[in-house]
Amino acid sequence: MNEYVTLTINGSKVKTPQGTSVLDAALSYGICIPHLCHMPGISPIGACRLCIVEVVKNGKSKVTTSCTLEVEEGMVILAHTERILKARKNIAEMLVAEAPNSRAIQDIALRCGVKEVRYPFRNKDCVLCGRCVRICAETWQSKSLGFVGRGSERHVALPFDKRPEFCKQCNDCINVCPMTITPCPGPMKKGEEFFCGLCESQLSMAENIVDTCVDCRLGEGFNCLRAKNK
Amino acid sequence: MNTITSMKSLKELSERTKKDNQKYSKIVTLCAGTGCQASGCSSIITSLHEELKHKGLTEKIKIRTTGCHGFCEQGPLMVIEPENIFYSFVKPKDIPEIVSETLSKDKIIERLLYTDATSGKKITYERDISFYKSQNRTVLEQNKLIDPCNINDYIAQGGYSALVKVLTKMSPEEIIQEIKESGLRGRGGGGFPTGKKWEYCRNAEGSPKYVICNADEGDPGAYMDRSVLEGNPHAVIEGMLIGAFAIGAKHGYIYVRNEYPLAVKHSKIAIQQAEELGLLGKNIFGTNFSFDIKIVRGGGAFICGESTALMASLEGKVGEPRPKDIHTTDKGFNDLPSNLNNVETWANVPFIIKNGASWFASKGTAKSKGTKIFALTGQIKNTGLIEVPMGTSLRKIIYDIGGGSATGKRIKAVQTGGPSGGCLPEELFDLPVDFEALAEAGSMVGSGGMVVMDESTCMVDVAKYFLKFLLDESCGKCVPCRVGLSRMLEIIDDITKGKGTEEKMELLKETAETVSIASLCALGKTAPNPILSTIKYFQSEYEAHIKDKRCPAGVCRELIHYSIDEDKCTGCGSCLKACPHGAISGEKKKSYRIDDDQCEKCGICKEVCKFNAITIS
Repeated sequence: MNEYVTLTINGSKVKTPQGTSVLDAALSYGICIPHLCHMPGISPIGACRLCIVEVVKNGKSKVTTSCTLEVEEGMVILAHTERILKARKNIAEMLVAEAPNSRAIQDIALRCGVKEVRYPFRNKDCVLCGRCVRICAETWQSKSLGFVGRGSERHVALPFDKRPEFCKQCNDCINVCPMTITPCPGPMKKGEEFFCGLCESQLSMAENIVDTCVDCRLGEGFNCLRAKNK
Repeated sequence: MNTITSMKSLKELSERTKKDNQKYSKIVTLCAGTGCQASGCSSIITSLHEELKHKGLTEKIKIRTTGCHGFCEQGPLMVIEPENIFYSFVKPKDIPEIVSETLSKDKIIERLLYTDATSGKKITYERDISFYKSQNRTVLEQNKLIDPCNINDYIAQGGYSALVKVLTKMSPEEIIQEIKESGLRGRGGGGFPTGKKWEYCRNAEGSPKYVICNADEGDPGAYMDRSVLEGNPHAVIEGMLIGAFAIGAKHGYIYVRNEYPLAVKHSKIAIQQAEELGLLGKNIFGTNFSFDIKIVRGGGAFICGESTALMASLEGKVGEPRPKDIHTTDKGFNDLPSNLNNVETWANVPFIIKNGASWFASKGTAKSKGTKIFALTGQIKNTGLIEVPMGTSLRKIIYDIGGGSATGKRIKAVQTGGPSGGCLPEELFDLPVDFEALAEAGSMVGSGGMVVMDESTCMVDVAKYFLKFLLDESCGKCVPCRVGLSRMLEIIDDITKGKGTEEKMELLKETAETVSIASLCALGKTAPNPILSTIKYFQSEYEAHIKDKRCPAGVCRELIHYSIDEDKCTGCGSCLKACPHGAISGEKKKSYRIDDDQCEKCGICKEVCKFNAITIS
């Protein structure tokens, strides 16, 4: 059985075990695809949409999230086309406007090239990445957290808003939450939010070579695979 | 009841039903579709039954209550066969006269006849009405010939003969080939080639396989799936049977929304009757092909019309879409190969098998074949369900079938494809309605909704309305759809309030593009269509709102002022009495004034003024 497959990401040949997601394959090769809801070892949900890439097949390209896309032999992936970069930057801008009080999200926005935030800030406590929900259900088999409500009413909640007996009190929901690390300038009050951008110097190299991981340290906040392995 | 095991016994049953019908000198067809029920047809049905009983005519005259005829605007409808006399707006008090005059003496009651919307002439026969004449009906045509609760009616119209044909004469591969050649494409909006989908599902690994009928129609204004399932459930069941045989599926589901009680009821009855005749269940038609259908009622979420969300809901999970990197034909319901088609798609299948692929392919355009049902609504004279060949021009639909503007004002746009479709301006009314042409123009065929709008409609307001609908119905799973749509609504709301800027307009466009590229499912991907298409074709209206702080159609409340024309005002005082906000002052027989600060712009004064003295600026 062919256990390894070879695919092309941004023109580079990448060899990776079968069953890997395109995002993991790219990250392990040092190709930077920003991501938020993705966690290694936890099933993907494709909610944040930051890791979108173009898959080229039969001359047509389709946009999909690389975290949910499994590698296939001969696959051609374009992770940083102009179209993708523009949409990704816009999504990052939306995210930072939703929740500016997160270093992870501020970092992602910077990494995606956001220079200013044109939407009014909302300063929410949760961006519904579902990291807590999934780690609780999958790693701990506990399902103490879940999504409740639809659309704009969607939120993460405990069953009947009470900590259930089967909660293992592992605190992993807090550990993986992108909202727990406040931005470097400190917590931002309502009405006083801003786009941080302090680490811009980290990006002096990356701006010209968008697709390369420059070990920018920005990933630490959001558990970037590279930053974690260092 | 004996089960049907051969073509002969099916034909016998068909002949017997036809013979039964010949006993009657007249058949009164009463539409009992949802539209006519809303107009009060159930009391007409009861009074007609009573009247016939009273006059002792039950042996001579048959009442057939059917599904939707399509001309809902004129309902309750009555068609008297064999003459084909068409009565509209029938009321219970008309029944004795209809029985004594038309049914007994063949006299036509003038006042119940339909008045042609354009020429103003009275029309006696249904076949002469331009609304019907300009159509080319296949699926809808059967609705008025069939009592949906009586399988014999369907069999008398040639029903289940396509099933018999495939079970006795065709191999699954041949069926798929036939469907492929016909060029049938998904009628639910996606337009994916049906034959190809079946083939994928047939070739997929995994067992058992499923076929699913998507009856979770949720577009505002669209009700064709409902009418087909209510009026002709057996066509859907037969289509599913043929599909299941071709694919190799053993189980089927009809996912129908709970808000369609009549559709649920009629499909339940239909399944039961088909089972009794051995046309559904184990060893169908005496072969070793077995297939069953279960009805699952949806909870009413718009998003559950999306295939992956529907299947999640079917599994008992939260109805949220998942990424479609693996197709549902490979891993769908319970991670097994599942073939999902829309009600109308399934209903077309028996006709294709019966009449051949070339018959179906002869209608329509190069890439979109056959006929499609559209729900024609809005500010036109004739509203209702229509079925036309793909490629019919919008102009023909709006003016020939729809009869043109109902208000006398110029028609300026048509919104096609439901909430996530686009608004097309009058310049594009010659566009053929097919999957490609509409997509290219920034709209889509979608499920087939068509909302016609005249000059009194503000396009920015329309875009806002649809955006709000979609935001309400978004599942909230992915960022572009949940956050992006709310940001778009924020901006467009500002525009309608005169707070829009050109920078915000650019941001609106950029957000719309991001949402359409990056969203997880088709709801998000198509959600910006109403915005993008109105920006494209009605740029001037946006500019008027942003630059001049003016709403040209006089709809956006924050941008309009009501005032009273002194020359026209006679001082009758009806506006003063009608105004709920106390904004009107003045003395009787002298001209009145509106106080701008207190006026809530509700428009009630304009409605009550008989002298057209109230103006909007």
